[in-house]
Amino acid sequence: MTFSRREPLVVGGVVGDVVDPFTRLVSLRVTYGHREVTNGLDLRPSHVLNKPTVEIGGDDFRNFYTLVMVDPDVPSPSNPHLREYLHWLVTDIPATTGAAFGNEIVCYESPRPPSGIHRVVLVLFRQLGRQTVYAPGWRQQFNTREFAEIYNLGLPVAASFFNCQRENGCGGRRT
Amino acid sequence: MAIPMAMATPTDSVSRIWSMSSLKSALPSAVTCRLPSSSSSRRPVTLRLPVSSPLPSFTGLSPVNPLLSIGLPDWRSFEDGFKIIDGGGRVYAMRHGRRVPKLNRPPDQRKALLRGLTTQLLKHGRIKTTRARASAMRKFVDKMITLAKDGSLHKRRQALGYIYEKQIVHALFAEVPDRYGERNGGYTRIIRTLPRRGDNAPMAYIELV
Repeated sequence: MTFSRREPLVVGGVVGDVVDPFTRLVSLRVTYGHREVTNGLDLRPSHVLNKPTVEIGGDDFRNFYTLVMVDPDVPSPSNPHLREYLHWLVTDIPATTGAAFGNEIVCYESPRPPSGIHRVVLVLFRQLGRQTVYAPGWRQQFNTREFAEIYNLGLPVAASFFNCQRENGCGGRRT
Repeated sequence: MAIPMAMATPTDSVSRIWSMSSLKSALPSAVTCRLPSSSSSRRPVTLRLPVSSPLPSFTGLSPVNPLLSIGLPDWRSFEDGFKIIDGGGRVYAMRHGRRVPKLNRPPDQRKALLRGLTTQLLKHGRIKTTRARASAMRKFVDKMITLAKDGSLHKRRQALGYIYEKQIVHALFAEVPDRYGERNGGYTRIIRTLPRRGDNAPMAYIELV
């Protein structure tokens, strides 16, 4: 299934900023509490404090997947010079299970955008086999494409994103 | 059209043509001048001054006063008394062809709203607002980015006169040449989203491309 122009991932700019156009092969379900994440959903930091439950489709237990959660709009969407802040990295997730069964390389950090409306993107890659992934030294300046290059993950198999902004308004007018 | 004399107005009120005669009979009449009755009453009535007045005053642009006895203009509607002199702009009773979005506000508030919205968009990069406001502010955001692309002092001062926070103007002028150097226009993107809960207003994200 290729991407049309109206696909939410294309319209929201995820395809292009974070990932390249890919084919959706596996289903990905992300749930924060009782809220299921759909593309472009609005969430507040209070909703995303704890890690979500992630359920992956697929059919074979021997396939392993890597889940990456990044924020491409740091520190602010108008000036994203720290592009892609890594929030969560889980590897070796067996198919048809969830992220709880995987290997959490970078522990979950809840998104707390200081200004503007940030997109938070969850990308799923298929691993060729069990592999050791090394955590990057720091969370910012993370590049999902390079990460996939280094570990031979290829194109993503699923992606989803939501919007997050700070709790109370835009922070006011600061001169 | 025959001149019905001393006709009572109730019968005239049924048709849209009201005749002067019933009114004239009630008022003290001055100089009368007969106009040839026009067959189509949609043309504006050309004014002919009564010849017998000592000082012909200039009444070219004033609407023909029905109470001054200029004659018996055959009027079917209110607009026939006006001589339309303008630059060629058509005035319709409907909204045909009018493209300025009014945003349910008087002009001064509208300008202030758009200034505030563009300031916030340039500050935050992506904002969520109603669809009408988002599509109305595109023009002004593009204008600010075009001013920043030019970069001269005059343009900077023009931008400072529009955007509420001067730090944003300086940051804009610093980064626009790199960011939008090759792009010609279309510096914003609007993504429609779910309606607002309180009043079901259609919402949209507007972001800088």
